[in-house]
Amino acid sequence: MSLRRATIVEGLQHILGADSVVTDERILKESSIDRFRMFEDIHGVYTQPIPAAVAMARSTEQVAGVLRFANEHGINVVARTGRTATEGGLETAVPDSVVLDGSGMNQILAIDAYNMQATCQCGVPLQVLEDRVREHGLTTGHSPQSKPLAHMGGLTATRSIGQLSTLYGGIEDMIVGLEAVFPDGTVTRIKNVPRRAVGPDIRHVIIGNEGTLCYITEVTVKLFPYLPENNIFLGYTVDTMKTGFEVLREVMVNGYRPSVARLYDPADGAYHFAHFVPEGLSVLIFVAEGPAGIAKATAEGIEAIVAQHPECRQVESRYISTWFADLNWGPDKIAREREDILQTGNINRTTEVSGDWGCINDIYENALRRIIEEIPDITMAGGHSSHSYINGTNMYFNYFYNVVDCGPEEEVTKYHTPINRIICEETLRYGGAIVHHHGLGKARTPWVRDEYGSSYYILEGLKRAFDPKGIMNKGTIIPA
Amino acid sequence: MNAVRILVCFKVTPDYEALREADWVAGEGGGAHGSGAAGGGTGAASRVETRYVPRILDCFDESALEMALRMREAAAGGTVPVELGAISIGGKEVERHLKTLQALGYERVTRVDTDADLDFAPTVTASIIARYVENTNNTDLLMLGWRSGPHDGGTVPFLVAEELGWPCLTQVTEVVVLSSDRVRVAHVVDDGVLRVTVRLPCVLGVGNAVVARLRVPTLTDRLAQRGAPVERVQGGDLGIDVAAELAREASVLADLEVIRRDRPGVIVGGESPREKAQTLFDSCLKSMIEKL
Ligand SMILES: Cc1cc2nc3c(=O)[nH]c(=O)nc-3n(C[C@H](O)[C@H](O)[C@H](O)COP(=O)(O)OP(=O)(O)OC[C@H]3O[C@@H](n4cnc5c(N)ncnc54)[C@H](O)[C@@H]3O)c2cc1C
Repeated sequence: MSLRRATIVEGLQHILGADSVVTDERILKESSIDRFRMFEDIHGVYTQPIPAAVAMARSTEQVAGVLRFANEHGINVVARTGRTATEGGLETAVPDSVVLDGSGMNQILAIDAYNMQATCQCGVPLQVLEDRVREHGLTTGHSPQSKPLAHMGGLTATRSIGQLSTLYGGIEDMIVGLEAVFPDGTVTRIKNVPRRAVGPDIRHVIIGNEGTLCYITEVTVKLFPYLPENNIFLGYTVDTMKTGFEVLREVMVNGYRPSVARLYDPADGAYHFAHFVPEGLSVLIFVAEGPAGIAKATAEGIEAIVAQHPECRQVESRYISTWFADLNWGPDKIAREREDILQTGNINRTTEVSGDWGCINDIYENALRRIIEEIPDITMAGGHSSHSYINGTNMYFNYFYNVVDCGPEEEVTKYHTPINRIICEETLRYGGAIVHHHGLGKARTPWVRDEYGSSYYILEGLKRAFDPKGIMNKGTIIPA
Repeated sequence: MNAVRILVCFKVTPDYEALREADWVAGEGGGAHGSGAAGGGTGAASRVETRYVPRILDCFDESALEMALRMREAAAGGTVPVELGAISIGGKEVERHLKTLQALGYERVTRVDTDADLDFAPTVTASIIARYVENTNNTDLLMLGWRSGPHDGGTVPFLVAEELGWPCLTQVTEVVVLSSDRVRVAHVVDDGVLRVTVRLPCVLGVGNAVVARLRVPTLTDRLAQRGAPVERVQGGDLGIDVAAELAREASVLADLEVIRRDRPGVIVGGESPREKAQTLFDSCLKSMIEKL
């Protein structure tokens, strides 16, 4: 251990106590990356600078202490909670970084069933919070596939979105207030109110900051009645994606808000629906939920819209409800995926973008065509739309490739980055957004200036104002 | 030198792990996996309803299919050519798996076309496979997963071998082609792993092999094989009346019971990892060690 590393560890031990500073080499290596470099990880190859330590914080005061220490000594800090990041946000791009882990801050502080809000620390897994509020007949309405694994801090920091977003919104629609610590140790609290007009909405400086401006220590989210008994599941096959997007648009534009509104293309759909969908067809899925009258009216409205499109054919609703019950990813699926990749060299990657109704089909078609034409060793390329809005929708590109003729450390440069480049180029060409919900991380920073255009000025300003010494997650969102 | 002709049998089964607990109800299902209405051979409503969950390759069959590909690769540098065939009994759901196998280099792929539910009918399954092998007379080595799902008793490899009069080894974990009429086989026995050299023809039931996943063909591989023929065979072509055979071997699912394997968890408290480790040792480990 170099003197510098030793000094950093000593400083952290002084703030947190010796037991809360991890320096085990294997853990440090695993803490230098996230799922963006999972192929390297599975093969035990680590190419990123190894952090000096993982600091396990137990309180806001400890977070403030660590940040103050890091800020004073110019040490890069990577915030971490659930470790499900997919875009390189957890990579320690700078030698001797500190990974500041908040998973031990795992207390649910309040469930206020009258005012319909719950407050918890950053390290509470969403599944734990959801299970607790369900005991009160309530739900957070947040249901990302990583619900069993991701924590409230990370979910807020990445502007995550769940599978029920068309009704409940993204995390930004759910957060009413938060507590965050800035690099100089300043603790800020934004109070929980229904709405206010007291200048800019400063929650949005914090939500989505990916650990580049501040450390989120506490969040308060809205709650909703949990009424699964009213859920109505609808599924249809459709001949083309173009018609599928049109149906989604009509549902949104006519004012219906199903919780789930999804469109799978034939390749992606085959992974889930081959047991009931003929080859070559796309699949539309809706779930209507809420109070019985609203769920019924929503389902009827959707059925009437779909009936206008003769190429849509309804499938039995139990196919959809059965599929929906097995969507989330827990540790079992993660373990199985690692074994699959190790044995076959075949890896699944995703890139999610968004665009308005006028361009989303062009983004989908052009990006997919280019991926298939330009990238070698592709075994599947497809995608789905899973989050719709009045003015457009997202496209979640889902693709698999065999990693051949290269070492684990070349997988990202040979395959993943070129595919990201194609998707980002096509998305930007049509005026869409290059990231819909996974966060920019480090993976998609090459295109961030083009994404922001003239508004990059504001992003840079935020960084300068809140992290003047540049110690917060170097290389994430803003290129190193 | 003569080629070693390998035929791998595989089954496409419902993904039982995708069944919700509430769906494990005896008497809901209509019979065949492909569609409830079309099945019914063994008495409709005698099954768990599985048609709402995806179809997957059974894991032992998947091992067998990948092992055969690797056997060919390992033998390719040498003097022994290996030809690969695959066969499955089932409805349309089997086709996409056969196409995948073609893209991976299987030369002969065959579907014995039936929507009948053969889940509890190992003798019917074995007869179909044995008749096919006899009729085509072009198989030296028959490989199957040793069992294909929670409903399967692991008897099919033995029954096929008996019908063919070939030797049979099960719990196979490794196979190497030595020559055009010999293979070296590792298989698990009661007290370890036995390695034997077997003269062909023979039947191998693949068990818990290290090679457990089938590789994935690229889109280019698939394109190259588009339109390649899939052989389709009816029970009648093999001299078997599947419905009549099933009626003789009819079985009815009488009851289902959930086996709970959950164990109570205890969170060990303490101020520091050292204190927690000490508590864990005092409360659990110490007494276990003392018992040893
Ligand atoms: C199987 C799987 C399915 C997924 N499905 C979805 C989905 O449906 N929807 C979706 O939106 N995402 C999904 N994701 C992506 C991922 O789960 C989300 O980005 C999630 O929000 C990350 O939360 P986490 O607690 O795991 O954060 P981490 O992985 O620990 O960190 C993520 C990022 O946030 C920063 N960060 C973490 N904690 C803090 C904090 N307290 N303060 C400041 N910054 C912090 C980190 O530095 C990093 O940049 C999925 C991921 C996986 C692996």
